[in-house]
Amino acid sequence: MSIEIKEKMVKDVSDKHNKEKSIYAPQVATIIKINTMTDTEKQFFIKLDDPIQRENFNFLPGQFIELTVFGIGEAPFSIPSSPSNKEYFELCVRKIGSVSNALHKMQVGDKVGIRGPFGNGYFPFDKMIGNNVVIIAGGLGMAPVRSLLLKILEDRSKYKGVTLIYGCVDPNNILYKDEIFELRKRDDIDVKLTVDRPDSTWKDSVGVCTSLIPQLEYLPEDTYIVVCGPPVMYKFVIVELNEKKYLPERVFLSLERRMECGVGKCNHCHIGNKLSCVDGPVFSLWEIMNLKEAI
Amino acid sequence: MLYKVLSKEKLGELVTNLLSNYEFYGPKKIDKVTHDFVLIENFSDIDLSYKKTTIPPSKKLLFPSYENLINYKLNKDNVEVLPNLESKKRILFGVAPWDINGMNFLDKIFSIDYLDNNYLMKRKNLIVIGFDVEPSDNNFAAAVNAEYTNKGFDLYITDLKDRYFIRVGSATGNFIINNFTTAVDAKLKDFEDYNRFLDVYRKKFKVKINLDKFYDSFEAVYSNNELWDKLAKNCFSCGSCNLVCPTCFCFNVKDELMLNLKEGIKKREWDSCMISDYGLVAGGHNFRPTNSNRLKQRYRCKLKTFAEKFESISCVGCGRCVDACLAKINIYEDVNTIKKEVGV
Repeated sequence: MSIEIKEKMVKDVSDKHNKEKSIYAPQVATIIKINTMTDTEKQFFIKLDDPIQRENFNFLPGQFIELTVFGIGEAPFSIPSSPSNKEYFELCVRKIGSVSNALHKMQVGDKVGIRGPFGNGYFPFDKMIGNNVVIIAGGLGMAPVRSLLLKILEDRSKYKGVTLIYGCVDPNNILYKDEIFELRKRDDIDVKLTVDRPDSTWKDSVGVCTSLIPQLEYLPEDTYIVVCGPPVMYKFVIVELNEKKYLPERVFLSLERRMECGVGKCNHCHIGNKLSCVDGPVFSLWEIMNLKEAI
Repeated sequence: MLYKVLSKEKLGELVTNLLSNYEFYGPKKIDKVTHDFVLIENFSDIDLSYKKTTIPPSKKLLFPSYENLINYKLNKDNVEVLPNLESKKRILFGVAPWDINGMNFLDKIFSIDYLDNNYLMKRKNLIVIGFDVEPSDNNFAAAVNAEYTNKGFDLYITDLKDRYFIRVGSATGNFIINNFTTAVDAKLKDFEDYNRFLDVYRKKFKVKINLDKFYDSFEAVYSNNELWDKLAKNCFSCGSCNLVCPTCFCFNVKDELMLNLKEGIKKREWDSCMISDYGLVAGGHNFRPTNSNRLKQRYRCKLKTFAEKFESISCVGCGRCVDACLAKINIYEDVNTIKKEVGV
């Protein structure tokens, strides 16, 4: 290899990674607490074993990690906890694939591997300062946006109106249920809930979360919108947001794909010329309008 | 770049010297119709008259189909993680220019954003010696400017019939020339002959395709499902095109536990964007469920995506995918079909 390239690479190394390291080597971490949230979701509290790594583990709302269950495999999970918590972070995991099923069988004290945080696209909580923020979450989509929600609530006075629209299949599937019902008591955040299949006690809206968008009263010029949910939800949410003339560069969507490596190498998560793992996972609607396969 | 001239009979001496100093891979005829890059023991084993190999040599050495990335040990109260970063000096001799360009593309992929040291450690220890290989029938490297390269090699040998014209691309290449042979500096006459050689060489590429206007045409036909279904009608989703491609780099990361249940590895293995579970995520949603979705995605990846990212497309025109396809899907004919659909 020619020397010129080599020199350049050494420079890159000092910027991003130690040249002796493999980007596929996970940090060892311990599960310190497990909460059962619903029939299919559990909340895991994870602490990195190495104190220096723990100190350096800075993430932004919307970023994700790759979690290894040693011997089983690796899968991407977004981080639903507040970025301010340095001691540990949380995961909200639905039992659905091989890694998540194995993780659900693990106990407090068990070791997992963590790589990350990954993703350059995040929910721009910094740009949102001084504006209204609407968070629209569908089902498990609550997990990635919870980090943003907590971050905003920590600095609540810096933002104008805050609205959370959260849609679920039925009341039993509401994630962070206690926390969300607690939020409803506050007068500085508007929480709108909706379910597809209500039970006899349900008093809120019935239907998909799209149906609550027309109720929004914020004006396009000082409003940021964040959307996260299953792929099918985006198409309908975007139609409603366009109807309300919200600006595409102020609407942010998290696009989950199959992020196998997390570091932009394996190519599984590409959407047009972008990679969800390094260019996203959060994209503005304007970016998405230029990516034909995104929605 | 330094330019040297080596007399014809000296090549054997150079190679023999290298053979005794390095692990040496070169092209060898392994049966009546097949050439492959294998470990070479004698100069006489090398056959530089090859036109193609099934698997690109750079991928064989740097990005093998199966590769151990890290090892780990599951101890009683902790886990030990040990990266598997191999670094052995190796020589890759007689690589075609399009394969060097393919390797340059992989170099970019594995060094952009994050440094993939599992690849780069091997790459840094690989000495590349290029050679102007005769193009095979389906080779269209000249149409995508991959029949020539000025980077990615340590030495590049051009056969000027009565002598070799050598381009020295790195300090390692210079070290080899100075220590293992006697070459002289190239003179004006040598450059003249070299340029004449290139003119003749470029005419040997018979496949003509013009990628001009393809970039926008692709967008115009993007939603034309009828066209894509027609192009992908015969595709078996076998992934042969991906396996032989010098610039295909998709892979899966997998964990494997040893039988003692105390040690494990994280490995990568090639994946293929043509296989149906490529876009499948947990929960059963498939982002690219049909053959035509996947073929469209492959063409975009080869002919468009990296024109935006790296300012040159990722296809190097080696024609391997055309040769390997059992359904006779032909990338350069399809480019023309797409352009014709848009009327350009």
